[in-house]
Amino acid sequence: MGRRNFLRSSAAFAGLGALAASLSPLRELGDYSSVDEFMQKYYKEMTPDDMAKVITRIENDVQRQYGIRPHVRDLKPMDGAEFVYCLNLTRCIGCRKCVHACVNENNQSRNPEIQYIRVLKLPHGSMDIDKADHEYNPESVPEKGFFYMPVQCQQCHNPPCVKVCPVHATWQEKDGITVIDYDWCIGCRYCEAACPYWARRFNFTKPEIPKERLNPNMSYLGNRPRKQGVMEKCHFCIQRTRVGRYPACLEVCPVGARKFGNILDPDSEVSYILREKRIFIQLKEEMGTNPRFFYYFEK
Amino acid sequence: MSSTQKRPSAQSLRRTNWVLGVITVGFLALAAALLASPWKASTQPKIPLVDPSFLEQTAWRKSYSDLVREKADLSDFQCYVCHEKKNPPPLRYDEQHVLIVPDEHSDIKMGHGTHNRNNLCYNCHNENDLLTFSIRDGNELKFEESSRLCGSCHGPNYRDWEAGVHGRMNGYWNHQLGDFKRLDCVNCHNPHAPKIPTRKPAPPPHPLRLPLLPEPQPKAATTS
Repeated sequence: MGRRNFLRSSAAFAGLGALAASLSPLRELGDYSSVDEFMQKYYKEMTPDDMAKVITRIENDVQRQYGIRPHVRDLKPMDGAEFVYCLNLTRCIGCRKCVHACVNENNQSRNPEIQYIRVLKLPHGSMDIDKADHEYNPESVPEKGFFYMPVQCQQCHNPPCVKVCPVHATWQEKDGITVIDYDWCIGCRYCEAACPYWARRFNFTKPEIPKERLNPNMSYLGNRPRKQGVMEKCHFCIQRTRVGRYPACLEVCPVGARKFGNILDPDSEVSYILREKRIFIQLKEEMGTNPRFFYYFEK
Repeated sequence: MSSTQKRPSAQSLRRTNWVLGVITVGFLALAAALLASPWKASTQPKIPLVDPSFLEQTAWRKSYSDLVREKADLSDFQCYVCHEKKNPPPLRYDEQHVLIVPDEHSDIKMGHGTHNRNNLCYNCHNENDLLTFSIRDGNELKFEESSRLCGSCHGPNYRDWEAGVHGRMNGYWNHQLGDFKRLDCVNCHNPHAPKIPTRKPAPPPHPLRLPLLPEPQPKAATTS
């Protein structure tokens, strides 16, 4: 072989090698995409049979990835239930237990961190969000002169995020929960820009969930593991609340500041609060979003 | 070989070889870099998992009913091992009229109400039978019924608690589908010093920064 041929063939070989290497990220595609998923129908157009197949596919995917067989359900809204959340700002001590209970319940990525609840620390006598600090980390909370305001998806009656979605991958269900179909989301992040409460989170990378912290009780529109490039947000723990249980953030609150229930039931805790308590705040109510999330103060 | 085509000079051949060599080495380096992806590891620092104690749902105190349910050691509640029946222990006060807690009860820190006003043990404990409480209407209550005792003074909070609005609820919001559990007052409040103590907060969010900068230090001005 002559020198010229040797150089030519080695250049061609290296070029092919580089091409293969540059395509190597496609190998990871197999982890979260399949023909079935690609051909999947829109959530609202799926028949129960279609959904059963999709659920089996998700269960298989999760088992392959995490080694745990999950229990995935497609839970529909209950009749005669509309959810409302009330949060007592007098009681909240800013301990962030709700943040981490939520992460644990809803299988959010731990690295990078995705958290649905952001606890704002505000000086007394102000509701000015510009003065808020959410990275506080003192030795102990509550700190003198401050109050704490956890902010998560407000499940608006008039949600701007739903309006801007170009593919209808997010919508409001009749029990008031705004849901996302992670298989329909194209990751354009318009909803993130539209939300005045910074409630929506984007999976910039493939989410990392340790096997030992995976919650196997999953629902299709709720806490099943997400993939890279889709949006997610608080969904009032659909996998819990649609079977009658309290959300995870409420059950871990050490001071009972969080209250959740059915506003259509006059005997529920939230009905009692809206009837008996004095001061309410719907965050940024001037936006006209009409949240289902109420902040209140004790007398 | 046609006459119009010129045979390349030795110099231009050398140049071609040199260029091809550089391209080959460049491609190989690129391939190695893509396969090894050295920056993948450096941009994704490990974030420690949160301490499981922040995920616990258990109340931080145990009520008398909890202890009975768990069949725990109840010797602390057997008052008449030390005290005498029909001979209520006298209360002693210092010059500022602050209750002197005897050494046997040194675990009790008095702090119920402001200005040391609520410093009479028999406001709640029954003078005539230390194994019960005496409610404000004069009736006796068992240790298990301590929440009603609290309610005899703290009416609005008791009303809220009965409605499930004061204090945490666990279980089912929909009572037709499952049970719910309401905590007792003493599961959260120490009856001798009811103000809930401060605690260490769970770690703040680790922002998505590439590369990850050191943790933001708490602002000195805001913590004071």
